[in-house]
Amino acid sequence: MKTFYVNARYLIVPLMTVATILGIFVGNNFVWLGVILFGFNTIIDTLTKDIHLRADFDESGNSYGIKKFQYAVMYFMLPTFVLLQVILAWRIFQYTSSTPFEFYSLLGIGYQSGISGLNLIGATLSAGLWAGLGIIYGHELSHNRKEGFFISRLIMSLSGASHFTYAHVYNHHLDLGHEDDPATAPRGRNVYHHAWLSHVGQSKYSFDLERDKLKKHKKSFFSLSNKWIIGYLYSLPSIILFVWAGGIVGILSLLVVWVISNFLLEALNFMGHYGLIREHGKPVEHRHSWDNDNLFTSWFFIEIGRQGDHHVRGETYFWELDDVDAPNYGIGYFSLFVLTLIPPLFRSFTKKLLEDWDQNKATEAERKIAAQIGNL
Amino acid sequence: MFNLFNKKRKDFTARVNNSGIEFSIKKGKNLLTAALEENIQWPHKCRVGSCGSCKYKLIKGKISPDIDFSYVLSFEELNDGYALACQSSLRSDIEIEVTLKNNRREK
Repeated sequence: MKTFYVNARYLIVPLMTVATILGIFVGNNFVWLGVILFGFNTIIDTLTKDIHLRADFDESGNSYGIKKFQYAVMYFMLPTFVLLQVILAWRIFQYTSSTPFEFYSLLGIGYQSGISGLNLIGATLSAGLWAGLGIIYGHELSHNRKEGFFISRLIMSLSGASHFTYAHVYNHHLDLGHEDDPATAPRGRNVYHHAWLSHVGQSKYSFDLERDKLKKHKKSFFSLSNKWIIGYLYSLPSIILFVWAGGIVGILSLLVVWVISNFLLEALNFMGHYGLIREHGKPVEHRHSWDNDNLFTSWFFIEIGRQGDHHVRGETYFWELDDVDAPNYGIGYFSLFVLTLIPPLFRSFTKKLLEDWDQNKATEAERKIAAQIGNL
Repeated sequence: MFNLFNKKRKDFTARVNNSGIEFSIKKGKNLLTAALEENIQWPHKCRVGSCGSCKYKLIKGKISPDIDFSYVLSFEELNDGYALACQSSLRSDIEIEVTLKNNRREK
């Protein structure tokens, strides 16, 4: 029973993504289901902010997590996200070809053909939000072996962000906490500015990484071994699909999906390390990441909020990550995300937390850097 | 092809030639994790293959790199048989050289 509970609790995103796909398929006002679920999750996350659980191990210290099951779920998310794009493209095609509004049934599921402009906006927002939330699988798989890493690249490429997989492992995990890491947000930066700087900075890092690697192997930059170029080519099928489905409307819709999903990805990076400081050359420790580990956030985001443990034991499976007394926002990602959208509110919320970090967690050298930066 | 369905992996042994330490690596574990579980003071920092601190020289045996080492190791190091312990899955018993913090297990 415990094994079932520990493994099944991480199925919220797969189930809600499938529900979002079904909503877009059924049509009419159901296309907004993805947006409604996002709002519903924000409420649940806020209500469960004070419930914090530890990782579950049996008496011999073995995790209840079943690796094969969790990996099968993560791999299954790739075709799920492809289907999410295909179903949105199908709706765009119906909109641009003025398909008449009629009712049909497929495999016992009734659906309305044709879509209004307003509902197409709803379908696009739903798809963007769930493509973005699903990026948590791209992150988890980026830390795994060959095929997992490759699937991570494919999942990220559905959001036009295949550079993330390399930048996350080789840049963020090595350089977090100082200015060499575009994904770490310094004090005073807001999430909107960070999203842009982090996205471009990580892509630039991945570009430089490939350039240096190819130079080392005496190969041309324009080579099939260039993962930066190949990664972006993985996004071509999405572009072709949306152009074919709706021309300009299709491209605009895909652009909205990519902007939303990349914004959510960078918001997670923003929240993960905002304002925390690490001295150059010093090891990454628990105090260099913020934990968001209330019940709903932990289950929904497959423990990605246990950043403190993740950054010290990067090879550890998500279901084994635990509370390590890292700095903690005390609220979940959904609630915190709402605060980040209003920068003055976010800064006022984090001011006391950062003061506490400076006084009680930072080293003398980190405190000195903090004093130079100011910007609380 | 897919590790998920690969059931042929088994336990192997690593011998550190320059210290005489020998330890076993259970299936599914990488070289660094196995060494740290044996309380061997293997240098490491990031544990995800980005810092290069856990590099070692493979003298004998086969390993399977979990990631592309060429982002972190130099061309000369790759040619000399260096690899990253945190990203090495064993395919046979191996003999290696590595500079440990202490040439012994910590108690």
